Amino acid sequence: MSNTVRVQPDLKFVKELQQFGGESLKKCYQCATCSVVCPLSPADNPYPRKEMVWAQWGLKDRLLNDIDIWLCHNCGTCSDLCPRGAKPGDLLGALRNMAYKNLAQPNFIGKFMSGKGLPVLILIPALIYLFIWIVRAGILGTAFPLFEMNGHDLVVSKTGQIIYGGLFPGDYTIDPIFAVLALFMLFGFYSGVSNLIKSFASMPRTFIVGRKKEPSFLCSLIETIRYEVAQHTQFQDCGADEKSKKRFKGHLLTMYAFVCLFVVTTIVAVGHWGGAFLMQKVLGLTDPLTQLITLAGSTPMPLYSPVKILANVGAIMLVLGLTFLTSRRASLDKAKQGSSFDDWYLLTLIWVIALSGLGSELFRLSGLATIAYPTYYVHIVAVFMLVAYLPWSKLAHLVYRTVALAYARKIGRIPMQPVQH
Amino acid sequence: MAEKLGVYICGGCEIGKALDLAGLAEHVKNSKVAPLCKVIKTNPVLCSPEGVAEIEADIKAEGLDGVVVCACSPRVKWDIFRFGDKIQVERVNLREQCVWSFQDDPNVPGLLTAMAQDYVRMGVTRLSKSAIPAPEIPETNKTLLVLGGGFTGMTAALNAAALNRDVLLVEKSDKLGGKALNMYKTFPLSAPYDKAQETGIDKLVAAVTANPKIKVLLNSSLESLEGAPGMFKATIGGAAYDVGAAILATGWVPGEGKYLEAFGYGKMKNVVTSAQFEEMAKNGKIVRPSDGKTPASVAFVLDMDLALKDVDYGVGAACEPPAPLPGDAAPAEGEGEKAFVYEQTESAKHLAISSEISSLVALKQAGYVAEFCPGAVAMVLYDHMMVPGINEKYYKAAQDNPAIMLTKAVVTGVAESGDGSLTVAAKDTLIGDSVELAADLVVLPTALVPVTAHEPTMNFVYRQGPHFPDLKLFDGFVDSNYICFPYETRRTGVYAAGCAHQPMTMANAREDAAGAVLKAVQCIESINRGVAVHPRSGDLSFPVFNFVRCTQCKRCTEECPFGALDDDEKGTPKPNYTRCRRCGTCMGACPERVIKFDSYNIDQIGSTIKEVQVPDDMVKGGPRVIVLVCENDAYPALDMAAFRGKSWSPYVRFIPVRCLGSVNAIWVADAMSKGVDGVMLLGCKYGDDYQCHFVKGSELCSRRKENIAESLKRLGVEAERVEQYEVAIDEYDKIPGLIERFMSEVISKFGPNPFKGY
Repeated sequence: MSNTVRVQPDLKFVKELQQFGGESLKKCYQCATCSVVCPLSPADNPYPRKEMVWAQWGLKDRLLNDIDIWLCHNCGTCSDLCPRGAKPGDLLGALRNMAYKNLAQPNFIGKFMSGKGLPVLILIPALIYLFIWIVRAGILGTAFPLFEMNGHDLVVSKTGQIIYGGLFPGDYTIDPIFAVLALFMLFGFYSGVSNLIKSFASMPRTFIVGRKKEPSFLCSLIETIRYEVAQHTQFQDCGADEKSKKRFKGHLLTMYAFVCLFVVTTIVAVGHWGGAFLMQKVLGLTDPLTQLITLAGSTPMPLYSPVKILANVGAIMLVLGLTFLTSRRASLDKAKQGSSFDDWYLLTLIWVIALSGLGSELFRLSGLATIAYPTYYVHIVAVFMLVAYLPWSKLAHLVYRTVALAYARKIGRIPMQPVQH
Repeated sequence: MAEKLGVYICGGCEIGKALDLAGLAEHVKNSKVAPLCKVIKTNPVLCSPEGVAEIEADIKAEGLDGVVVCACSPRVKWDIFRFGDKIQVERVNLREQCVWSFQDDPNVPGLLTAMAQDYVRMGVTRLSKSAIPAPEIPETNKTLLVLGGGFTGMTAALNAAALNRDVLLVEKSDKLGGKALNMYKTFPLSAPYDKAQETGIDKLVAAVTANPKIKVLLNSSLESLEGAPGMFKATIGGAAYDVGAAILATGWVPGEGKYLEAFGYGKMKNVVTSAQFEEMAKNGKIVRPSDGKTPASVAFVLDMDLALKDVDYGVGAACEPPAPLPGDAAPAEGEGEKAFVYEQTESAKHLAISSEISSLVALKQAGYVAEFCPGAVAMVLYDHMMVPGINEKYYKAAQDNPAIMLTKAVVTGVAESGDGSLTVAAKDTLIGDSVELAADLVVLPTALVPVTAHEPTMNFVYRQGPHFPDLKLFDGFVDSNYICFPYETRRTGVYAAGCAHQPMTMANAREDAAGAVLKAVQCIESINRGVAVHPRSGDLSFPVFNFVRCTQCKRCTEECPFGALDDDEKGTPKPNYTRCRRCGTCMGACPERVIKFDSYNIDQIGSTIKEVQVPDDMVKGGPRVIVLVCENDAYPALDMAAFRGKSWSPYVRFIPVRCLGSVNAIWVADAMSKGVDGVMLLGCKYGDDYQCHFVKGSELCSRRKENIAESLKRLGVEAERVEQYEVAIDEYDKIPGLIERFMSEVISKFGPNPFKGY
């Protein structure tokens, strides 16, 4: 028998949850169908049934400290089979949305993210880069310049080609800003993750027969990355219908597309700052390795460059993955499973990035300067938003879910190795 | 008596294939019963238009007064084999009881033929001892007496008035409206069934008051009800009124507070009942009684574990040892003139019985919290959320209200702090194994205790007393068998509706009132045609007493399940035909056999039993067992067994009876003296959850059986040869096994009846 707990219902919190996407939570009558049909829920204190009644009573503390919301991969089977249309899947989604908004500091960004503040968040990068564009247009004498190489310098020429770095010089207008953004993002995640781990402190340790010592967090994290991240093991088990398979494929493609694009960006950054700047300019090296590194970092690249090929493959994977994810989400039966603002925000943003990225490349190659530069502008603004607001967006799950799953491994809530079926 | 009979043997439904029809007809022609049979015919399909036309032609040509249809069960095609008021019909069940349930064994040929021959002769004999009853038709009063001027009573009165009946509406208090007057709102009465709504009681009062067919008597109670349905004399406020039938809608009173003490009721100011909470809402303000402040949290405790833990539900203790039959023992000295004391039946159990209503009330009042106290939460702690039927929609709607929080819980206590705030402790909840909830106000359910739990209400001037018998079985609610016979009470002509009947919502009470009115109207319309009411609706027969031989033993007057018989000072029974339901319990009770029905009597069944051919040598010809079958449940179960291809011993002969309560001991004696090896009695289940159509019949039979066993022992016959079995209508699969067991255990064990061959 556990100790007596004083329960304090919180009506405001119930209403808040309903606004975050859990509007049907009151319909639950605790039949437990959801927990029974969930392919991932553990046998001991299974979710999402208990979360439903906690939500109905507005038991804020329990819900905000609940690790189980991260174990759910949101296949929607529970919501599909719920006899009352209470949409337990949506509630867990709403709780995650709430976590995105509240975990990382400064959390006013989270508040802005939930809809009404969004124009402000868009305006920040839009104005910064518009300002840069106007200033550069003044210097260059045109808003849509064509360039040709003159030695190491770019000069405006009517017969030249489109070079984005000419209008928005990377060294001054892109890299420093994004470096600051990356730091800002890392700080956001740092505060978010430490808050997350703090919230899990009250989670009970599951006693596992035969387990000698609790594994270290690092060890758990490695296993998590190996299985859940790299192979999507939990994700694959989550839901058995066509739509779930589509979602699994779409998510895997999208994630690896990001990996490809991340690799490309890293190569370019290392090539530029490590090769061209550090090795050539500062150290004055001219050996073949330095030349190779420098070459890898110089843009625009020719289409046959392996780095460019990787970038294009990544872009195509991204579009494919997004197509799967979007068509699945659009085909969801709204009566069974809802999509929140955050779901659509993230999908839209990534679509904008993918399409404006591809568009920038295609318009550049076809020499349509008046279309190419605005497209590139949209691309930078969108990437700015993705990076800068990452800890407060749904995409933050890449960090929070990974941490939570590793923590769940550590405390025994999920097994170290995935169970073989 | 039917004297010119036509015997028709049908060959349809495989009867013709299994039996030699001509041979059967020939047998009848050569039998002892032949003189009664003017016509003996076979027909390939008797229920065909040609078959029926043939019978009709014979009736005309030969002047038949009775037709023995040897075909299928009397429970089917009764509408086809019907030849007018003057012609009696007897059905011989060759199909279900012979050819469908037995196939001749080539090693022992002739058993099926012997069976069919027995049944046809038995049928002829039975019909020949039956006459068409000629009841006296009494002068009937059609006025309906409605007791109770609440929602149910007024609805009943308006329904009756709509049927053009005069209504006498009696209300104890000084105004119409009843409990609904104290209610702020009620559960939904109409689609979409998701919102509490106004009771509409004012409109109902206005409609009743304005209706010229309804005479309202306020500040009045029924002092006594004398007579019989169709001709009751009601005494109200000293004045006498003639009424035909009555509707009991006296409703409920709130249960006593003492049963709620475990929850702090009576000690803690802020612990109130739902009735008190309703009153606050009605007055437009929900506040804490201790300080008059608006509560921020209200706990509705529905789990009544603390109040109910010592309640004895009497499960398994239903069958008390049988009381001695009246007349068996001489009355003790000083007995007889004891003052009548009404047995009080209120208990904590009423909280459990009212739990459906309590669940709905809690949902409704939780809605009041959201309505009257913005920002406050209503916590509902239930054991079972009982919202059957359409009210599921109301539950769903209540759940959707964010301010209403529900959990299953076992409430373990309520504690009070200095400022009157309360803490409810509960275990096994959905929000934790053991939790405490702070509440500004705790609301406990109000038990709906029927008025009849406290007082006899009807005040009958009947031999069996002023009250309904055995109401303890229903904890004071006026019910007899809610599954088979809703509205009906143990007193013919009185129909219960509303919360006197069982705790119910206003929506249900509205239907209940309509149903009870229809029953009451039906009762009067049966009486004025001289026929019985349910369950033998339309039966013309009635008990006829041969008072010359009556020994005034009072068995019949005491045992009548419906209190139909009164008696004079000497104890001579006084039949009240319109109270009678024609079950024949009195006929079964009478040791002098002075009671008969024209179409159902001792001699008739006795003669039918004697018509069974019993072989002198049991080893050669097989044993014989008579099965007296209750025609309400056991007989249809037998039909179903046959229909589903079950079979049983060919040595049993079934004789339907109106009720096992009508079985007279002499029939068993007749059978035994004839050499029959055993008698089986198949009747309904009895006890607390009885299924007997006549409430007491099968139970009385089982008690009388003890006496029969005694008599048999004196004669040197084993008591085990007579056995009673309880069969429900759906237990058709059990019956063949019962028969087989009786045949193997009883007959094989004891061998032939020692009286065989005398």
